[in-house]
Amino acid sequence: MTLFTKCIKVSVIALSGLILCAQGAQVPQHIDIKQLSKTVEDVVVPLPNEIFGALNKLGAVNWKEHVRSDKGINFTERPRIALLLGTVIADGFVAVQAEDAPAVKEIGQRVLALARGIGVGSSITPHAKAIIEAADKRNWEGVRQELDRTQNSVQQAMNEVHDEKLSQLVSLGGWLRGTEVLTSVVTKHFSTDGAELLHQPDLLSYFQTRLQGMPEFNVPIIHEIQDALVQVKPLIDVGNARIPPESVKKINEITTRLGNGIVTRD
Amino acid sequence: MNSFVNVLLRGGFLLLSVIALQPAVFASVDDAQSFALQAAETYVKQGFQVREDYWGGDLGSGEKKAVRQQLFKGNEYWFWLGTEVDRAKVSVHVYDSDGKLAEEPDGWEKGHFAAAHVVPKTTGSYFIIVSVEQSPEERTHWALVYGFR
Repeated sequence: MTLFTKCIKVSVIALSGLILCAQGAQVPQHIDIKQLSKTVEDVVVPLPNEIFGALNKLGAVNWKEHVRSDKGINFTERPRIALLLGTVIADGFVAVQAEDAPAVKEIGQRVLALARGIGVGSSITPHAKAIIEAADKRNWEGVRQELDRTQNSVQQAMNEVHDEKLSQLVSLGGWLRGTEVLTSVVTKHFSTDGAELLHQPDLLSYFQTRLQGMPEFNVPIIHEIQDALVQVKPLIDVGNARIPPESVKKINEITTRLGNGIVTRD
Repeated sequence: MNSFVNVLLRGGFLLLSVIALQPAVFASVDDAQSFALQAAETYVKQGFQVREDYWGGDLGSGEKKAVRQQLFKGNEYWFWLGTEVDRAKVSVHVYDSDGKLAEEPDGWEKGHFAAAHVVPKTTGSYFIIVSVEQSPEERTHWALVYGFR
């Protein structure tokens, strides 16, 4: 009986192993990416804190020096408001990294004002309130989550009224500000791993394509961004090569110029 | 009076039919997202930040969809796939830009949930392949969420 039980146990273990192996074997180790081209969904734009998180792991960053007090003037053009809104949300993530409660609260108010400016204020009010409350409690994880919710709600509200293009400008504004901060940090303390975080050629192509589909937004800053992305593309689309310090510095100069353009009047 | 009862009965029957059919007819990608988030719950306790944004749609049995995603070396990612269809079997796998399987071996598939774990070796574009392997429905809603730490 003992021998029989042992045999059963061994058989069960062997069978389990076979099943696991079979499951593993079912997953192809390699696929043809070119065949996927027709079924691939658009790139999802990462939030700045996703990049900042990776950056933090490379060494201590003095986030306080990247907190921006100038949140931009009031625009009437909706594309400009959308770009600025994305930038301000990204500033919120920087302020969270710096654990700067007054800056976070100010950003919460600014986000609400900008969201009202493009007609989606009602969906943002609860998030702005939650950002301010979480900052008061120094609940940084809560602030991070609310900033993510804010961006998501803004974009959902825009998509619902078929303002997808403005929604894309919010993402673009956030990406530009995130890239500006990333390149600023890496320029000051260069590392190849830090520079590698700029390797985002598909994301850049995604923004270029989206901007090409916005001829109706005839504002100078949009044209400036289009021209700038053409300059940035070869600096980050380097394949398996490393991104050198001078490229990081150049991208920082470009994104800083664009950042200033987004927050100030033409 | 007879016609009134008739109308009442017919109306009641129609109402009951709508209520009975509701899960099938009105089930949506949002329901699928709830399941994907349910799969993510345990990981939130481990410090993963789950994005509010998600991908979703519907697929027939045996169909696949690829999602392109920028991942950053230094971060750790989990992708969670869910569907509201109880007896469906779904899967999610992650490949790098060369088409090479890039996930850790601790990914899992449990009926209408599946998850894939990635620790990117390089910063760049990755492809997340979602698939409805089996389903009793003609079209099966799916939603994919991700988290990082």
